Amino acid sequence: MIKLFLIAARNLKRSWFRTIFTIAGAAVALIAFIMLRTVLWSWNAVSEYAAQDRLATRHKVTMIMPLPKRYAEDIRAVPGVKQVAFMNWFGAKIPTAPDEFFASLAVESNTFFDVWDEMVVSPEDKARWLADKKGAIVGHVLAKKMGWKVGDKIVLEGTIYPGDWEFNISGIYKASRKSVDDSEFIFHWDYLNDSAPAEMKDQIGFISIRVTDTSRSAEIAQAIDRMFDERDVQTATMSERAMNLSFMAGFSALLTALDVVSIIILGIMLLILGNTIAMGVRERTKEYAVLRAIGFEPWHVRFFVIAEAAALGILSGAVGVGIAYPFVNHFVGRAIEENMGAMFPYFRVEPTTAALAFVIALGLAAVASLLPSIQAGRVSVTDALRRVG
Amino acid sequence: MTPSDLDAPPDAGKAEATAPEQNRKSAAPPKGKPIIELVNVTKTYVRGKEPLTVLDGLNLTIEEGAFEALMGPSGSGKSTLLNLIAGLDRPTSGKAVVAGNDIGSMSDGALAKFRARHIGFIFQSYNLMPVLTAVENVELPLLLTKLPAAERRKRAQTALRVVGLEDRMDHYPRQLSGGQEQRVAIARAIVTDPTILVCDEPTGDLDRKSADDILALLTKLNTDFKKTILMVTHDPAAAERATITRHLNKGKLE
Repeated sequence: MIKLFLIAARNLKRSWFRTIFTIAGAAVALIAFIMLRTVLWSWNAVSEYAAQDRLATRHKVTMIMPLPKRYAEDIRAVPGVKQVAFMNWFGAKIPTAPDEFFASLAVESNTFFDVWDEMVVSPEDKARWLADKKGAIVGHVLAKKMGWKVGDKIVLEGTIYPGDWEFNISGIYKASRKSVDDSEFIFHWDYLNDSAPAEMKDQIGFISIRVTDTSRSAEIAQAIDRMFDERDVQTATMSERAMNLSFMAGFSALLTALDVVSIIILGIMLLILGNTIAMGVRERTKEYAVLRAIGFEPWHVRFFVIAEAAALGILSGAVGVGIAYPFVNHFVGRAIEENMGAMFPYFRVEPTTAALAFVIALGLAAVASLLPSIQAGRVSVTDALRRVG
Repeated sequence: MTPSDLDAPPDAGKAEATAPEQNRKSAAPPKGKPIIELVNVTKTYVRGKEPLTVLDGLNLTIEEGAFEALMGPSGSGKSTLLNLIAGLDRPTSGKAVVAGNDIGSMSDGALAKFRARHIGFIFQSYNLMPVLTAVENVELPLLLTKLPAAERRKRAQTALRVVGLEDRMDHYPRQLSGGQEQRVAIARAIVTDPTILVCDEPTGDLDRKSADDILALLTKLNTDFKKTILMVTHDPAAAERATITRHLNKGKLE
């Protein structure tokens, strides 16, 4: 069978132009497919890789409505709660680069890096930050992009909290988990609160909670929400994964569209492969008849066609994955992480995505060859070899 | 013929090309047991609404070791008869027994195995696979056997030596002349040591010199290796090489 496969594969040498263009067409479709799947994977990774032992409490109505700061202290007292850190979305803009988007958070200084311990910061940087009210810890991707170094003084423009805000870069963090953005700007909540307008003082955006026992997460979340049921502001407490999913739900239509587009791309790839295979079979009808004449059976002929298609699929898959993998991981991925890190903190082709794309290329080629192979197996030997006699 | 029998002198395939004066028609037909027996065979095709009888109550016996030529005008049924004997088609009625096999009663799968075992095909237009070298083309029918790769290659090389192409084994068909391509096709036909060689206008696409070489090779396979050969041809010079020439006209033997 291996010998038959190798012979069938050599049919691809008959028309180099056709083979190369088919492989190129299928590979381009595969690259587009891989990139779309990577977008979807990366998007979901934020929730998939979320910490299992972390909860988030927000306003029951919507995450953009604030909570009273004292809620954090109440939550700290709930049994099973290990650590708590509250924070506000600041919405900073860089005056010299207003289109630059990055997450900026005013956080509870003493506990934030305990609750978010996957944001790894050196003890020296952390000590420097804690000692400086205007200090900021910056993700390494953002720091590299903006050319910020420890010790730099910068000014950011507030969008939610208007005005120019001065900061000192105290340290750089690096995420140890794929779901964490490497482009965030972290500073002291006290600095924000002290300078915030009166009506915005002592208000917090949401509360991150670390629990002692992951298996009790649901129970603890219910206990927290129950505690605030009778208060003016009710809360919604959920796992970090659920919180991320609720955020992503707003983009579900876009995700569905991406899914549809990726399926359409596969359809185009199927047509490209099917057309080439069908042309080859039409041209080689007489050869198949000769094979039948010398003793090959219809299934042998079908195998020849499918094997040739499989070889085409393997080559297309190898080229597509071979280009997409380094292209995304070394160029597109880095650019996306730098510019859209809040949404895509980790944008790389996963080995499973690459393997899936390769298997799909092979599978589509096999599917595309099914009809032509059936036709080839049914070829009438006498008709194909017919000469007036 | 066994694989070891295929060892041939270096000039095999050319030796008898220099003897066109030989007229085997004058030789007595070989006396052997019948290897092809057709009794009252009819073959009818339906083309559109009209049935077309191509072979009409045909009776034919060919003995083992014969070299027979089949001639006739276009449309006389030569190729249809050849296809029936080769197991590519079945008679509409009558009985066709080839190498002890009743063609009409065999399944498609059984016919394929019958062809692989008993029939060696030689076509007018060679029909080699262009992506395979000469030796790989010859090896092709052996892929249906359980022979190990080394043995397959050895037999294919032996067959190419028989046809005088030992120095062209790794050439692709496009690198060979028409005559050489036909020799490769003959090597492919004999590599499985078939009972019968079925030749459909084997010299139809060749110049006179190449045609004579091919006919000499067929003669050698018949005389030295005792192959039964049935050859359809329009070429009287080719028919002269056969020990018996039969004429077919409007589906009947004359």
